[in-house]
Amino acid sequence: MLAYLIRRVAQSGLVLLIVGMVAFGMFRFVGDPIDNMLGQERTQEDIDRLRGQLGLDQPFAVQYFRFLENAAQGNFGVSYRQGRPVSDILLERAPATLELAAVSGFLAIAMGIALGVFTAIRRNGFSANFIMSASLIGVSLPTFLIGILLIYIFSVELGWLPSFGRGETVRIGNWTTGFLTETGLKALVLPSITLGLYQMTLIMRLVRSEMLEVLRQDYIRFARARGLRDRVVNFRHALKNTMMPVITVIGLQLGSIIAFAIITETVFQWPGVGLLFINAIQFVDIPVMAAYLMLISVMFVGINLIVDVLYFLIDPRLRADRAGAH
Amino acid sequence: MLRTIRYAAIAVALGSAAQAAEFTWAETTDPQTMDPHAVNSAPVLGFLNNVYEGLVRRGKDMSVEPALATAWEPIGAGEGWRFTLREGVTFHDGADFTAEDVLFSYQRASDEASDTRSWFAAVSEVNVVDDYTIDIMTSAPNPIFPSSIANWMIMDSGWAEANNAALPDKESGNYATLNTNGTGAFQVTAREPGLRTVLEPFAGWWGEAEHNITRAELTPIQNPATALAALLSGDVDYINPVPIQDVARLAENPDVNVIQGIEARVIMLGFPHEADALKYSAETTDANPFADPRVRQAVAHAVNVPAILQTIMRGNAEEVSQLVSPAMNGFSTGLADRPAYDPDQARVLLAEAGYPDGFSFGLKCPNDRYLNDESVCQAVTGMLAQVGMRATLDAMPVQNYWPELRADNYDMYLLGWSPGTFDAEHPIRFLAATPNEEKKLGSWNFGGYSNARVDELLPMVQSEIDADKRQGMVDEITKILQDEVAYVPLYVQPLVWGTRSNIALTQRPDNFFILRWVTVN
Repeated sequence: MLAYLIRRVAQSGLVLLIVGMVAFGMFRFVGDPIDNMLGQERTQEDIDRLRGQLGLDQPFAVQYFRFLENAAQGNFGVSYRQGRPVSDILLERAPATLELAAVSGFLAIAMGIALGVFTAIRRNGFSANFIMSASLIGVSLPTFLIGILLIYIFSVELGWLPSFGRGETVRIGNWTTGFLTETGLKALVLPSITLGLYQMTLIMRLVRSEMLEVLRQDYIRFARARGLRDRVVNFRHALKNTMMPVITVIGLQLGSIIAFAIITETVFQWPGVGLLFINAIQFVDIPVMAAYLMLISVMFVGINLIVDVLYFLIDPRLRADRAGAH
Repeated sequence: MLRTIRYAAIAVALGSAAQAAEFTWAETTDPQTMDPHAVNSAPVLGFLNNVYEGLVRRGKDMSVEPALATAWEPIGAGEGWRFTLREGVTFHDGADFTAEDVLFSYQRASDEASDTRSWFAAVSEVNVVDDYTIDIMTSAPNPIFPSSIANWMIMDSGWAEANNAALPDKESGNYATLNTNGTGAFQVTAREPGLRTVLEPFAGWWGEAEHNITRAELTPIQNPATALAALLSGDVDYINPVPIQDVARLAENPDVNVIQGIEARVIMLGFPHEADALKYSAETTDANPFADPRVRQAVAHAVNVPAILQTIMRGNAEEVSQLVSPAMNGFSTGLADRPAYDPDQARVLLAEAGYPDGFSFGLKCPNDRYLNDESVCQAVTGMLAQVGMRATLDAMPVQNYWPELRADNYDMYLLGWSPGTFDAEHPIRFLAATPNEEKKLGSWNFGGYSNARVDELLPMVQSEIDADKRQGMVDEITKILQDEVAYVPLYVQPLVWGTRSNIALTQRPDNFFILRWVTVN
């Protein structure tokens, strides 16, 4: 067990190093930050001096090594654009993204499971078919289009909800929350629908097909034959057995909700880390880009590591394989 | 019943009479710092013009008018300028404004750590005469000095030193990066970089308030569609810019106004004057056709600027014949005509230059720097192809663009230039003078254009006190640049702002948004 764990952790560390290297290698194609940092009246001398100060004149390997050295000590450098420590900026922006991700994740799971069960039970009903067809929108339309569409309908035409931003926020310690004000809650509606729609349709379709599979099983037929009520059969017996693969997928999708919030945040000017990243790309703010990419890869690698370990704990076959090697 | 009506009437009366209002606006770029000397860029200086003030400022028509200085006069025969400072001015924190602050701000803004030091290249020393008089000495007579420092903002020396912000820190920031203490009509009451910046009127401002704003909030919105939706839904009162393609649609909406004008920025084509050969040509690999003025002239005749303005700019821009727009000081009125669109003439010129069948080359273009820049380049490519100049267009984000130009990786390029001093001397110094690292000349003259007479005239223009003589010299330079087709100026970029219909404001050609001219009705 311990050896397995150590090996998995070492592998994860290697993945992180490689991700960091690839990301760092790409930064040179994003452009040159110098022109954004100096004004129109800069001279070549100014350019060279600033480049030296930022260490951009160093070879790639040196820059990467220096970044790793600092990152290992929790220091992600200073943003070229804002002139403030990147870790401060990330901490400041994280609540917005996490709250958005939490709400849309909750929305996706709750609605996805409910609609999935509904469409499975009423397989041939009109409304189930309608929901199934409508769900194609969620899978096929790109996020930014859905976002713009929602803004157009609910903000511009109807004027019910704000078109951008996070509304008023309340500060609790280091955390800013939009849950406690009316404008904050209103501002959450459109972005969380936009962000959660794809995951919702995914979960819904998954639940539906798994459920249909389970409903064909003999034990369901026997349950019905025993005269159990539909509700008990559907929810206690069928749904429970549907959930295993669904939970796995939900776990994996959790990371992508945070990572893919970038587009939603851009459309709604949502002040989270995704928007920060997009702005950083436009400004070639290398420290911010590097920190964000590392953060996201740590998150994905971490989730995968946990899933691997859980599999090891849950699935006896994994252990049996190793036992067989004796 | 009657009482209700009376109250209602009072409420209505109060509503229009009190006129106090909150105002929100959105721009694509957040000012990256609150330090007026750290970054010389329009979003920063434009925003800080509401908070800090200079000795002089620009009025609604761009003319120079007194601000922290009430009067100024040349010293002797052009040894410098004496500024008489306004008395009774206080900074937002209550400190008094004196000549010491001006001296301090000069030292701060002209330091190596500052991005604004090029403004003071001509200054030899600054002497405090008394609390309200200061002499700024120049190494040579400098007639345009007062008008060139409208964006030089004065900071309180005591405040800056007490907060360890005596010098700007571009790389890691300091107190002045996030906090302000100016003398301007508005003070910053909250600042969250990239999210929002809140301004409130400064009660102790020396001037007469023309606005009726009680609180103003700036939110950067990068996505143009989001900004437009925010304006249409009334979440913001003003956006800049409005995407050109949406102008016609917005103009029909009674709830919003579109305010159009001409920016100071001239869009032009540049050439590799010094290169020995084209870099991106399929066949002309041993010669540089653009070294021949006739070929450059052919380019000028081949580009149909009115058509570009009509289609891509939807009629919102003006064609231009020189490196500055007609609104700038020093515009050569006698040379205002652009070479006519004449593809036949272009073909003749190409044949004369030895390229009867034309040639192929590479055109470099930014795709996110100027309004519709990539579309303009596509149109130029098509128009040049009709006379035989077959361009391969390579459009890229601006962060990649400047390094390419610095590395001479182009056969022709698109450039926009907005003169910071609003004077014709500015583009001559940066774009037309022979590049000279030591004298800080020609730092944006990528192609290395060089003309001895232009180099000779430039210092004379810079130090000529007599306005007519000076204009004569500027005209001569303009004539040389036109005859030699150093650049092919195309058009002046339009300004398109959008407001809610209850907002009255003033649009200035430098694209600065001046809050103290805003009225919410």
